[in-house]
Amino acid sequence: MAELSDVVNETIQYEIEEFIERPDELERNITLFAKVRPSMQDIAAALIEGDNDSVDVLTKQALDEGIEAVEIMDDGLIAGMGIVGIKFRENFIFVPEVLACARAMKAGMAYIEPILSASGVEKAGTVIMGTVKGDLHDIGKNLCIMMLRGSGFEVHDLGVDTSEDEFIDAIEEHGAPVIGMSALLTTTMPNMGKIIEALIDADLRDDVQIMVGGAPVTQEFADDMGADGYGKDALACVSLAKDLIAAAAR
Amino acid sequence: MPEIDKEDYQKRLDRISELFSDMVVHADAQASERCPYRNRFDECTAKIHCRNQRPPRPEGELLMCGHDGGFDYRDAWESDPDSYDRAKAKIDKIKKQASSKRGQKPDSA
Repeated sequence: MAELSDVVNETIQYEIEEFIERPDELERNITLFAKVRPSMQDIAAALIEGDNDSVDVLTKQALDEGIEAVEIMDDGLIAGMGIVGIKFRENFIFVPEVLACARAMKAGMAYIEPILSASGVEKAGTVIMGTVKGDLHDIGKNLCIMMLRGSGFEVHDLGVDTSEDEFIDAIEEHGAPVIGMSALLTTTMPNMGKIIEALIDADLRDDVQIMVGGAPVTQEFADDMGADGYGKDALACVSLAKDLIAAAAR
Repeated sequence: MPEIDKEDYQKRLDRISELFSDMVVHADAQASERCPYRNRFDECTAKIHCRNQRPPRPEGELLMCGHDGGFDYRDAWESDPDSYDRAKAKIDKIKKQASSKRGQKPDSA
């Protein structure tokens, strides 16, 4: 039976000892990390710390050394994210830390994506996401992006305070069939309607499916604005994106 | 270029989705008591202005969160739930103006 001392990476050892209390999870993580190679433990440790620069460098190094992409995903990225999930569940870390770890995972996956393309693995779709002009809230948007990427979507994040022109430029650049708009203020919510009208004027409305979300947004507002869908949370966002991609393909 | 089996990849994707789904559900629950912009050091990571923001620690860069968990923090955000009707009216106005510019009849509400 594996022991904690069999885990060579000190950060991983500390994370397991300090933050994992449930016996089944403790045993599973010790067993897992005791048998994975040190370079995978290093990737996992960097991901847990939200260090996307290190995950970037270590993932590239691992691939250059001939380590298989699935091993990097299993033993580095997913194993690390598993510990992040436990720490979050137990309230040792919070949403900002989770998003930092999700960015670190994205940094690693960036090297795996070309391998997916070469293997003929198709992405679930391309989505452009942004918080509308005048609004600086981004937590909900970022959680949606995390879920979308985790479900195989390619996501272009326009950030916050995004103008109509920025959405239009992104649609033209990426050919994305779906855009997602977020607003958290009733004062900025109408800017979603402005963007939709701008897409009509730019002759792009028929080329995209539009989903909207954010705390003050409702299905009624989405319908009034002329959006194609409303997602009440990040889980609904993924389901809606899949439906809209399918609708765009018809 | 190495390759990856589609089914193998899909299994990994399903596992990642499962992990993230659990996190999103927990984030929603956690958000009822703790602002999602507040990190583990009780610092504010928001770009928005919030009335709960306090000066940073002497050695820190981020503002501190002054929310004590005793009330719904969301009222401190710069939002105005009572302006819902104004937002609805604004959307109608935007649509009418856009239609008018295009020389179309505006849609009836």
